[in-house]
Order: sequence, then structure tokens, then C-alpha cells
Amino acid sequence: MKKYLSKLGSKPIACLCAAAVTLLGVAGPMMGAQAADKVNLLETGSTLLYPLFNLWVPDYTRAHPDVRITTQGTGSGTGIAQAIAGIAQIGASDAYMSDGQMKQSPDILNIPLAISAQTVNYNIPGLNKTHLKLDGPVLAGIYSGHIQYWNDAAIRKLNPGIKLPHQMIIPIHRTDGSGDTFIFSQYLAFSTPSWNNSVGYGTSISWPAVRGGIGAIGNPGMVQASQQNPYSIAYIGVSFHAEIAKAGLGTARLENRAGRFLLPNPRTVGAAAAELVAKTPADERISLIFAPGEESYPIINYEYAIVNQRQANTRVATAVREFLLWAVDHRYGNAPKYLNQVNFIPLPARISELSIKQIKSIH
Amino acid sequence: MKISIFRLVLLCLTSLIPVALLAILIFLTHYSWSAILFNGVHFLLGKTWSLGNLYANPVMVHGLSVPVGANYGILVFIMGTLVSSLIALLLAVPVSLGVAIFLAEGVPPGSRPVLSLIVELLAGVPSVVYGLWGFAVLIPFVAHHLAPDLAHLLGFIPFFAGPVGSGYGLLSSSLVLALMVVPVITATVSEALQGISREAKEAAYALGAMRFEVVWKAMLPMIRTSLIGAIILGLGRALGETMAVLMLSGGALNYLPNNIYSPISTMASFIASQLDSALGDPTGMAVRSLAEIALVLFLIAVIVNVIARLLTGGFGRAVHN
Repeated sequence: MKKYLSKLGSKPIACLCAAAVTLLGVAGPMMGAQAADKVNLLETGSTLLYPLFNLWVPDYTRAHPDVRITTQGTGSGTGIAQAIAGIAQIGASDAYMSDGQMKQSPDILNIPLAISAQTVNYNIPGLNKTHLKLDGPVLAGIYSGHIQYWNDAAIRKLNPGIKLPHQMIIPIHRTDGSGDTFIFSQYLAFSTPSWNNSVGYGTSISWPAVRGGIGAIGNPGMVQASQQNPYSIAYIGVSFHAEIAKAGLGTARLENRAGRFLLPNPRTVGAAAAELVAKTPADERISLIFAPGEESYPIINYEYAIVNQRQANTRVATAVREFLLWAVDHRYGNAPKYLNQVNFIPLPARISELSIKQIKSIH
Repeated sequence: MKISIFRLVLLCLTSLIPVALLAILIFLTHYSWSAILFNGVHFLLGKTWSLGNLYANPVMVHGLSVPVGANYGILVFIMGTLVSSLIALLLAVPVSLGVAIFLAEGVPPGSRPVLSLIVELLAGVPSVVYGLWGFAVLIPFVAHHLAPDLAHLLGFIPFFAGPVGSGYGLLSSSLVLALMVVPVITATVSEALQGISREAKEAAYALGAMRFEVVWKAMLPMIRTSLIGAIILGLGRALGETMAVLMLSGGALNYLPNNIYSPISTMASFIASQLDSALGDPTGMAVRSLAEIALVLFLIAVIVNVIARLLTGGFGRAVHN
């Protein structure tokens, strides 16, 4: 043995090869053994939904040992693309698919799993405990560079009596493709015609050139960038509520369609969802942004599972169906014990019914 | 007979490399062809990048289906890539030369392997580690100390004048790129210096040269080819660096940097950050335009290498051999 080792030691390449072979030898059977009698599902997509799937999957697979679910946080666009390509059985997305995409892939379902919201946060030393009032046109002005200073007349008009500093605003946006950019830009587009006509909305948009504005990666990057930069403003997914509080950022009250300024909480998010329940079509592709109603918080959205109606075989189809039915069930996946941890809101009863109907069509 | 089989195998293996290179070029050109037709020269000169409205019905432009308002101009990313890489080289080359000379001439031969190993280890650190360090440590330092100080000291030069920004941008990206490039250049140059024969050095000493003069006037000119090769190797790494730059660049869109503190975007990092959204384009034009960026980046890398070859006379030498 000693001789063997010393011989190996004298040949680094042989040594590396031996190590690689050993690794393969150990890893191979490990993967193979589970693949033999288990159904393997791949979930990939939205990084906002990723933490929720990671809460769901261990509990679900413990109760259903015949299913193995791999989760990946890759981005909503990737989630949709890989669900269409058949690489992932479940694609997670913060945005519903466009008509153009649906025309190309008519078998794909957009199934809401929960409701999320977004906050607009700022870092103005001395004012972070005050909930400033902001509306769509003012935010559009900030992100297009027309409103440059915190004490701009438009911001002062919304916040009478608050002493705003004469400091340059640093607007922070997401550099990576993001469902948060999608719903934020929809809020701007739906509330401000000039934004709708020039920039529009999407998971990556052509941000107007604003000197001093910066791009950040992911929600953690947004929190960090706004914490590091006094007088900045950012839009952040509500799942990051705890991080926002820890960073000491201020949260804006946003104007809704009815002209009221609200903070997101279960009541205002629920009210906005309730307004659009009746309007949600059977395929459930609808924006919940800028909902009507006195108590409706303006930036909320459905979090979607993007699933091909026709799965590879009945075993896989059954596994996907059962997992998703579990996920939207208020006793299991949609229970507060999961959703509260990521600050999501459960689906309203009628939306659950629509989702269940779509899930049951998977075959 | 045995020899000829051996030769055949070697020939096959060797030809894999140019074939792979050619395959990449052909694939990129083929894949991005509709984007090349749609974008034209505007692609290289335009400052505006917009995926257009992916939720509206696509329109037909010159017989190609594209999203409404799609506009793909990458001048901002080309400039971001070239400027950040050049600044990184300006910072990295003197440092690398110093380290390489020290390794080759300044340390006792006994401890040289240990120090060389450390330099090579630096070259092997994954770029995302540099990115994370830059994100957590460098950006606050640049924003609060380095950038204001630089603007104060060199503010009379327009490129260094404020506003100093937020730390995200050209300066931070270039600093991290320089850090990643230093070990690459150092390793190559120090190896070349150590390869210089003792006789050559002793000849220079015999002419009465000081130690500095031996290094500067005799040794460095002797390794000119390796030096330029090393710099190009470093430039290649800087041009293609994706993750670290993505985390530090500030993701500039639709405007060119006006000073060294300004946010930028590079071609490689932009492809990485934009791909997910581009996948949502039902016409596929967005992904194909990203492939066209990759093609341009590929061509820039080839051009840089050819220039380096010409500078070092590499082509001529290859023929003579």
C-alpha cells in the first residue's frame, strides 16, 4: 500500500486521474440508485419563488418519498424557456407569458401559486423612519432623470410638512432580468402614460440614462446598494422585508389607482387581489398591478408555475399534478407556515379553484 | 507503421483546436445571422439597447419579425469592455513587471518556488471570489475614500473630475480586473526572465552594467516577445471577464462613461445579465442579438491576438521555424 501511494505521489497526473475515478465511482451509484425507482422533477426559474420552493420541497418529499424534486434559482425567463423546452417540469416565474409566447407554445400553463408584493425603499438619512408618499409619475420622473433632487417640487407636493434634503437622488435598478423589474415598470407604465410610451415594461427594460443611477444584481444587491448609498431609491421584493428592515431603509407609501397612499400589508395586498379575482381569466395570465379599489396596494403579482400540459409520461404528469395541488392547497403549501416566511399572500379561494382546474389538466 | 498511427492520432487531436475555434465562429455567425441583417452597422455605433415591448404583438421589419421598439446598439458595452480592460492593464503591467523581476532576480532561488506558487494560486482563484470581495470591500472603499481622494488630487484632468458616484463603475471594475490580470502576466514574465541564460546576464555585468541596468536594458528586451504575449494573455482575461465585472460595474445602459467613476457595462457581463429576459422574446431576435455581441467579442479577441503577433513578429518566426 505504501509503495503504491509513493508511486502515485511521483506521478501527479496518475494521482489526479485516480481521484477523479474514485469520485465518479462514489457519485455515480449515489445518483443512479435514486433515479431507479423515483420520479425526478426539476423546478427552475424565479429567484423570488426559489426560497418558497426550498421550504416546500423538503416537507413534500418527506411525505412523498417516491418523488425527488430538484430546485434551481435561475431567473424567470430561464424558467419559462426550460419549461417550454421540456428540460424543467416546473418553471417558476414572476411574470406571466406574453401572447406571442403563448402562440408559439399553446400547451404551456401559467399557474399562480401565491401572491407577492413589492416595496419602494429609500435611504435618506434622518427620514428612513418616515413613510414618504410617492406616486407613479414621480417614480417615473426619478427613473427617467427628470426629477433629480429629493426636494423637487413634485416630491414636496406629495409630502407637505416634511423637510426634504437638496441631494441628488440615486435611482437603483436591477441589472439582471427580474420579475421585480417587470412589476415595477408595469406600475410606472400603467400610472404614467409618458413612461408607457417611451420605456414600457418588461423583465429587463431600456432604462433611461440617469447620471449617478446604478444597476445592482438580485434583491440582495438592491438592499446592499441602497444601504451603501445615501439618498438612493430602490424597488425590492417583499420577501426581503427582514433584510430591508435590517439595512434601516425607508419604505414608501405608494399611490394606488384610487389616489390613496398605502403600505403593503396582508390587508392592502389582499384587497388588491380581491379586486382582480373576478377579472382573472381561465388561463390566469393577468397583471395585478395598479388595481382599482380604495384599499388596494398598487404593486402585487401572481407568482407562477409554468408547466407543460403534456408531460413526458403519466408517472411524471401525476407527480407534477400532485405536487402542485399540494402547493396551492391552503392546508399544505399555501398555509401561513410557509408563506409567512417569505411574506407571500395565499391565493384567494376562486383563484385556487382556477389554478386547481389548470393543474388537473396536466397529463 | 506504429509511428504513423501515432502521428495520425496526434494530428486528429491537434486539429481539434482549430476546428473547435472555427465551429464557434460558424455557429455564432449562423445563429446571429438574422440579427446581423436586422441590426446592420447601427449595432456597433448605437448607444441604445432596448428589447422592445415583449408583451405586444411583434412587427415585421425588412421581412424579419421583431418586438415593437426593439433597438440593439452596443457601443456602450464595447466602450465599457475596452476602457475597463485598458485601465486594468495600465495598472497591472507595472505591478506585474515589478513582481516578476523580484521573483526572478530579487529572491534567493530556494524560496522562489514558494513565492511563484502563491502568484500562481492567485491566478487560479475563481473570478466570482474577486467579484464578491470587490462588492463587499472594494466598493465601499472606492465610494468613501479612493474616488473622493482621486477627484481631489487629479480633478484638474476631466476624466478624473467628479461627480465621484457610488463606487459601482469603471474604477472598481478596472481595479478588480487588474488584480485578476497581475498573476497571469507575472507568472509568464517571471518564467521568461528565469529562462535567460546565465552567460547573457554575465555578459551584461561584464560590460559594467548595474543590476538595474542588467534587468532593464539587457533582460527585458530579451524577453520582449514573452512580455507582449503575457500582456495579451492578461488582456484576454480582462476582455472576457464576466462575473466579477457584473457585480461591480453598475450596469450602465444607454450612456457612455464620462469619467472614471461612471457606471459601465461590458459585453461579457451584459450577455450574462440580459440572457434571462432575452429568452422571453417570442421572435428570438433578442437572443440572436446577444449572440451577435458574443461574435463581436470573439472578433475583438482575435484582432487583439493578431496585433500582438504582428508586434512580436510571431508570424514571421513561425514560418522560419
